[in-house]
Amino acid sequence: MAFSLTWLSDVLINAGLKVAESPGWETRGHGDMGTVKGVLCHHTATPGKNSGNMPTLNTLIKGRPDLQGPLSQLGLGRDGTYYVVAAGRCYHAGEGSWEGITSGNSSFIGIEAENTGGRDDSPWPAVQMEAYHRGVAAILKHIGKGVEFCAGHKEYALPKGRKNDPNFDMDEFRVAVGKILDGTAANPVLIPVETPATGNKPARATLRRGLANDPALVKIVQTKLGLTADGDFGPKTEASVRAFQIKHGAVGDGIVGPKTWAMIDP
Amino acid sequence: MFGSNILEVAIGIIFVYILVSTICTAVREGIESRFKTRAAYLEQGIRQLLHDLDGNGLAAALYQHPLINGLFNGNYTPGKQTTDPDLLSKGGDLPSYIPAKNFAMALMDIAANGAPTNAGNSSAGAAVINLATIRNNVAAMDNLPVQRILLTAIDNAQGDLNKAQKNIEDWFNSGMDRVSGWYKRSTQWIIFWIALAVTVLLNVNTISIVKYLSQNDTARKLVVERASVISKDTTYRNKDYKTAKAELDGLKLPIGWDNGFESVEINPSAQASVWNTFLGPLLGLLLTAFAATLGAPFWFDLLNKVMVIRSTVKPHEKSGEEASRDPQKPQPQVVYINPTPQPTAGVITPGTNTTEPDGCEAVPTQLTNDEDLPASKGGMD
Repeated sequence: MAFSLTWLSDVLINAGLKVAESPGWETRGHGDMGTVKGVLCHHTATPGKNSGNMPTLNTLIKGRPDLQGPLSQLGLGRDGTYYVVAAGRCYHAGEGSWEGITSGNSSFIGIEAENTGGRDDSPWPAVQMEAYHRGVAAILKHIGKGVEFCAGHKEYALPKGRKNDPNFDMDEFRVAVGKILDGTAANPVLIPVETPATGNKPARATLRRGLANDPALVKIVQTKLGLTADGDFGPKTEASVRAFQIKHGAVGDGIVGPKTWAMIDP
Repeated sequence: MFGSNILEVAIGIIFVYILVSTICTAVREGIESRFKTRAAYLEQGIRQLLHDLDGNGLAAALYQHPLINGLFNGNYTPGKQTTDPDLLSKGGDLPSYIPAKNFAMALMDIAANGAPTNAGNSSAGAAVINLATIRNNVAAMDNLPVQRILLTAIDNAQGDLNKAQKNIEDWFNSGMDRVSGWYKRSTQWIIFWIALAVTVLLNVNTISIVKYLSQNDTARKLVVERASVISKDTTYRNKDYKTAKAELDGLKLPIGWDNGFESVEINPSAQASVWNTFLGPLLGLLLTAFAATLGAPFWFDLLNKVMVIRSTVKPHEKSGEEASRDPQKPQPQVVYINPTPQPTAGVITPGTNTTEPDGCEAVPTQLTNDEDLPASKGGMD
């Protein structure tokens, strides 16, 4: 039986965000959550800035030896993609208090954003922070709560100082979320579906794993990346595109849009 | 908080130097206990003092004399070196220290009774050690410079045996000062190379740390707090390698090689440049290495001095913090629908722990590769 947070994925997609559902998320959770009262922001503190887009995903799903997963409803990858882990209650909050709420796991949706929490990973990637703001705003809007119901784990956790995540200023974070909630923020920038024709190249569709990609275009990308050109945009091709994008200082989202086309096959 | 911040960064960096120096000293002691270089320097010093560079004459006789022989295991074999010893000469079983009194008494006995221990000089028939016998038998030593030293010592004593012994001890001590000087210089060289190795292995870059501490208020506060505890703990001067290393790791500073070669960069988010990836790290690491060469006691004294300055400069914590905020910097303004959210202060009733587990910041046992991530959708036109 699916738990009650099955709206998570749609709400985030409607906010213009990239969303990846981990298989079986609708039925995952430590029982159902109570009334959702807010959002609790975390960072994963998984070491290694270059260890991947969301290296903590499996841990969020399965947990760790002493504590069974899921450990949060959402994971936020470095490229701003939300990984939907669970639709039920998750173990992310622990002891604490915020706005009089002390049952964190039953009241807050947990978002674990991938960041080492150290100096090597600061400042956060702009695309990830933007997605963090928009995702929190979308959830708060859906549950009909104000920006004050978004807390950082470090603000909630008791005794004081038990937790230090997330490592950014929560007041500034709430200002940004508030702007999205009251409509004063700019609209999200979406990835175009097609790259317009240039002097020597025809118009090319944006390639992405899971889309009905044109095999001929996929083969161009695979050839440029030195992969087997089978025309199938699968997980391996996506991972190679991510690596290529990060190497060239772009957002490593694995989506071949206008910017990536310009770098990969100008 | 201009003045205070700079002082705090200084405290932080001094604290790091203390820890690195402690690690270096520990490594140096490990090497010393393996090579016993101090003993080799002492032996060389004694050979030069006794004008017996080959180590077959008077120096050998002295080391074989029961008064000295009791200080070490096994027999005396002269070291290979006939000039100044190397940085890492092996001392074998020889003693690292010889008390001046043992030296003087042994030398006087050798002067009076000759070198090898035999029935003649180890029984009642042996010459009585007094200034007259020494003066008469000294020619048998066959070592003109030392004979002259002994004669000078005896004559200066004006008939007092203890005074003569004291004179010989003084002569020995002045020679040992020279050995200490040698040893100190060689140790300083070795410590420098150790410091360089430790600094590079741990990637303790002064520039990175200063930059990090000056930008990161929380980290600086934590380091300063720890440093102020340590500065009051006088036993901390003699910490071992493990404690120092654990302390250094506990500071959570930008050190180590966690990010592969990128860790070397002064500013990991900036592009590679001559300064960022080569000159900066080189300078930063050399600075740390030179600083560590100065030794933990030096940095300890400095830390205590800076702590004193800080306590006079430091603002009053209770009333000062609010006023000291930089008025130029706009504080984030959040309009809250009444009232401002506050973490509810209060005591958590015990026993609630079991119902509210906290898996945040779990260390992943296995990382998820990009290839194993589920496909994403959304975010497109």
